[in-house]
Amino acid sequence: MTGVLVTGATTPFGLALTHALAAAPDVTQVLAVARETQWPGASERKLTYISLDLTRERDVRDLLFGQARELGIEVVVHSAHHRSLRVHGPRAHALHVDATRQILELVERHPSIRRFVYASSSEVYRRGAGLPSVIGEGHPIELSPEMPQKLRDRVEADLTVCARSGLSRCSLMVLRFAELLAADSGSQLADYLGSLVCVRALGFDPMIEVVSIEDAVRATLAAVASSAQGVVNIPGADVLPLSSAIEAAGRTAIAVPEPAVELLYAARALRRGYEFTWRMNRWRFRWGGVLDGTRAHEVLGYVPRARVDFRAVAQAAHPGTST
Amino acid sequence: MRLGVYAARALARALAPEDVRERLSRARIADAGHGYDRLGLSREGALAAIAGTSFLYERWFRVRSSGIEHVPREGPAILAPNHSGTLPLDGVMLWADVVRHGDPPRVPRIAVDLFVPRLPLVFTAFARSGAIGGDRTTVSRVLADGELVGIFPEGVPGIAKPRSERYKLRPFRPGHAELAIRHGAPIVPVAIVGAEEQWPELARIESFHAFGAPYLPIPATPFPLPVRYHIRYGPAMDPRPRFSADAADEPAIARGLAEEVRQAVQGLVDATLRERDGVFG
Repeated sequence: MTGVLVTGATTPFGLALTHALAAAPDVTQVLAVARETQWPGASERKLTYISLDLTRERDVRDLLFGQARELGIEVVVHSAHHRSLRVHGPRAHALHVDATRQILELVERHPSIRRFVYASSSEVYRRGAGLPSVIGEGHPIELSPEMPQKLRDRVEADLTVCARSGLSRCSLMVLRFAELLAADSGSQLADYLGSLVCVRALGFDPMIEVVSIEDAVRATLAAVASSAQGVVNIPGADVLPLSSAIEAAGRTAIAVPEPAVELLYAARALRRGYEFTWRMNRWRFRWGGVLDGTRAHEVLGYVPRARVDFRAVAQAAHPGTST
Repeated sequence: MRLGVYAARALARALAPEDVRERLSRARIADAGHGYDRLGLSREGALAAIAGTSFLYERWFRVRSSGIEHVPREGPAILAPNHSGTLPLDGVMLWADVVRHGDPPRVPRIAVDLFVPRLPLVFTAFARSGAIGGDRTTVSRVLADGELVGIFPEGVPGIAKPRSERYKLRPFRPGHAELAIRHGAPIVPVAIVGAEEQWPELARIESFHAFGAPYLPIPATPFPLPVRYHIRYGPAMDPRPRFSADAADEPAIARGLAEEVRQAVQGLVDATLRERDGVFG
């Protein structure tokens, strides 16, 4: 019997996870935490929602040693991060990295919490022509200073958790999800597919991998129940060339020389306020890379199976662009 | 983009021999849900590649194949051929030969040099027909999935040999032997004869490294010469009775096995050279 605390509980993934945990027979209590003042989902008997700013140290301490202790929370699933690339500066860093570090420090001396699961992303992996197409957990990490702050923060937070693995009293697990393709999830690909016409680099049609919310939740439930430690890749059931992803979304693909692609998407972001940036995705959109799910299968018994509805995601990303 | 797909389909319908199309329809491809495997191989892509190489295979190089029965019918296995020819058409012909003659049909995953993925269009076409990056992680994963992998253990030095040293194999790198031991994968030595003479090299620009290429070869002729290719497969060398998987970490064992493979390939090359009836015959 387990009590679980979920941060970032109001994102599409967080909501689905919270409801799945509340429905799980071996979960006694779910403590959902997010910044929003109102819980956007359905109320559940086992669910307690707390509106909280995770960057406020005192509030986090009070949460963990107050309500979390009273509810007998044993597992923390930390998935809070800004979904927008545009959020940057010390406040964003405080949520992405400092809050992660602080929660990690607090759970290590917490009387009831025995496990910490960090929801990371395959964005932290470096992509390149000379790098393996199959991305294992030991794959090189993206440490380029030219990447947006959100990505650099995710790498820092991910590595902060990894650095404690084996040293902490708690068992720690980092789940590196394939791109979670869903509207309002901060997915770069969803934003990219939101346009009626998707421009890609001439001569390259890489394999793209996405995971559905259903599969991401299933993997996280397995991680909550497991006692294994370390990094685990969570692959998705959809692996396909970028051109096929564009087609599946009902969009039109146009291939142009790469320098023009960068200019076009810079102009699109400026004029229309879209989130997708070519600079962040250019290596992935040239050479792709798919996650090796061997460890997820061995450690969590996880095999991806739920497919993503590309057309629905693309239309939800930017309503009014239906084809 | 879809224009390219439609063109490939039309090409396949027009040029791929009917029996090869039927064979490819029986080949095992681990479809990841959208008609492609996780590394980009698709049945349509392989069919288009067969169509695209038909002229070279049947008419230009008139490939003679022998010993294909040595290629394991299932499970992980490594094809280890010699490498030559200014441009790596030997890999293309080897791929086409296994697809055309393997029984049951298998699509070999030819491991390409790490600069190849940088080449626009080229690597996309290669990946659709089953080529994979030649890094250890990717090859290891593909072997773990029970696939047939083609590795040129000489690497670029094999293809860069001077004319005076043709068919004298360069030292084999031990990576393929390590992987074979680790995955219990039989190694099939393969001799490819004809490729050394296919495209005489006039010169090379050593300082050319665009897309990460090791150099730029300047061929003496605008097209490869219509030499006859001979592809000969030797008996598979199975590491399983001799080595446990952990022996892959012993450098001396891997180097020793690689040298055995090199000698086997050299023996096949020498025998084929003795038997062939001239470069074009």
